[in-house]
Amino acid sequence: MVLSLVIKGQPNEDAVLCTSDKTYTLRSVVLSNSVLVVTPPPAGSTTNSSNEDIVIRDQLHEVLELMPCLPKLQKLNGLLRGREYDEGQEETEGMEDGMEDDRPVKRPKFTYEDAREILQASDNELSRGLKEKRVLTLNGDLRPIAAPHLTTILELLLNYLVSLSLSHASAPVEELAAALEDDHDIKRDISRQVMTWFGEVKNGRWQLDVNTTIKEVGLGILRTYKDDPIAEDEFLQKWRSTVGDTFESIVDLKLLSGNYLTSPKPFTNPPVLMLVYFPASALPPDPGARFADLFLTRSRWKADDITPFLADIVVDNKERDKLLLKFARAITDSEGVWYTARAKYNG
Amino acid sequence: MIIPINIAIPGPSSVRQLPPQFAQFGTGEVVLVELQGALEVDGDLKDQVVGKLSVDIETKKPSLRIGHHLLEGKLVTLPKPLAVMHRAKVAVSTTEGDAMDDSDQTLDSSPPQWDIIAVVKRKMVFAKRPMPMVGRVLPTAPVDIPSSGLE
Repeated sequence: MVLSLVIKGQPNEDAVLCTSDKTYTLRSVVLSNSVLVVTPPPAGSTTNSSNEDIVIRDQLHEVLELMPCLPKLQKLNGLLRGREYDEGQEETEGMEDGMEDDRPVKRPKFTYEDAREILQASDNELSRGLKEKRVLTLNGDLRPIAAPHLTTILELLLNYLVSLSLSHASAPVEELAAALEDDHDIKRDISRQVMTWFGEVKNGRWQLDVNTTIKEVGLGILRTYKDDPIAEDEFLQKWRSTVGDTFESIVDLKLLSGNYLTSPKPFTNPPVLMLVYFPASALPPDPGARFADLFLTRSRWKADDITPFLADIVVDNKERDKLLLKFARAITDSEGVWYTARAKYNG
Repeated sequence: MIIPINIAIPGPSSVRQLPPQFAQFGTGEVVLVELQGALEVDGDLKDQVVGKLSVDIETKKPSLRIGHHLLEGKLVTLPKPLAVMHRAKVAVSTTEGDAMDDSDQTLDSSPPQWDIIAVVKRKMVFAKRPMPMVGRVLPTAPVDIPSSGLE
C-alpha cells in the first residue's frame, strides 16, 4: 500500500492533514528548548573535512502536532444546496449535450474533484460522506437525491424483490433497474447508484443491507412528522406495512436513534409515547452551539437520550464524555443521570 | 488547496549516513539535538564550526563541546514520533547539492510540496548546564553548519 499524505484547507481555514482514510488537525506547538536537525553533510559539500563531519541543517522552535478529528464535511450541505435531484427532473437532465449551447448557461457542475479540493476530509471519508448524504453522481455532477424520491425508490425496490421473487441476499441489479425504469420511469443509472448505497453490488448482484434500508424507509415516514407528533404504535404500524412481511421483523425504533424525540402524550392511560422527527444531522456541528440547541429543545436530558445526538460530532465515546463534562451539568436522581445546561442565562 | 506530502526516506544505502554511533539517537540520516536555549551566532552562519559532538562508547552518553564548555546529554524517546519534513521544490535559499532543475517559473504557480525525509522516534537532549572544560580532548565528529546555509 502506498502511503499518501496531504495537507488540505482553504486560506481561511485551519489546515488538516489527511491520510487516505483519516483526518487530523494540525496544531503548532512552540518548544521552549530549541531542536537542531542534524544530518550527514550534503553530497558535494564544500566543507572538505573528514567523513565524520555532521552538519546542522536547521534550528527549530516549534513542531506541528497531529490530533485525530472528524472529517469536516459540514460545508457539503451548503455546497449542495439547490442541487437536489428530484423525481420528474429526468426530462431536462436527460437531454443530450448537443442542445446545451443554445440554452442559457446552466448552473456550473460541482464534481467529486471539486468537493475533494474544497473539503477537509480524506478520500475515503469524503466518499462515505457523499454516500451517507445520498448524493448521486450524474454525468460527473454531484446531486443529492430528494428524500421523498429516495424513499419511493427504496419502497419500489423492496416491493420488486418480493413480486419478482428475488433473494435480497443476491438480486440481479439489471433486472431490478429495468423494472423500475419500465414501470416507473426511474432511470437505471439512479436505481443502480441507490442500490450501491443500500447494500453491496458485486458481479451484477445486489446484496441488500437490510438494516440501512429499513432505517431509511423509516426515516422517510418519520420525516413527515416534524411538527405534529405521531403515536409510537401508529408509526411502527405504518413502518411495518411499508417494508412488507419479509422485513417486518427488522423494524425497530432503535434504528432511528438520533433522529427523533419522544414525549408522553398528556392525559392518556396507559401512557402513549409520541414521536417527532428531530435529526441530529440538522443540528449545528459546533459542540457549543449543538448543546445550546439541545438544551433549548429540552431543558434536561437522560444520558441515553442525549448521546445519540452527539455521536456525529465526536471521534469516540471518550471525547463525547469530555464534551458532556464541558457543556452540561450532570444531576443524579432516582431515575438515573440527567444532563442540564451548564450555564443558565435567565437573568 | 491541497499540499501533497511525499515520503522521501532514502534507503539505507543511497545517501551518506551519519556515523554509526549517532544513528541510535535518531535514524541513519537525521538526529534531533535538543538544547536549552538556542545557538546564537554572530554574522554569517555558513561553514562555521559549532563544536564537537561525541558519544561515549561504553556509557552511550553523548557530549557536546562548544568552545570551553562541555554539555552532557542523554537519549530520550519521543512521546510521539516526529516526521522531519523538507520543502521539496522551493525558492532560492535551500539548495540541495544534488541536481534540481531550475524550471522555477512553473513551480511558482503549483502548490508547494513537502518531503518527509525521516521519521524520528528519539532525540538527543542536552538539558544540563554546561561545564567548564578541564583541558581534555575528546575523540570526535566536528559539527559544522553546512555551506548551503540554514533555512
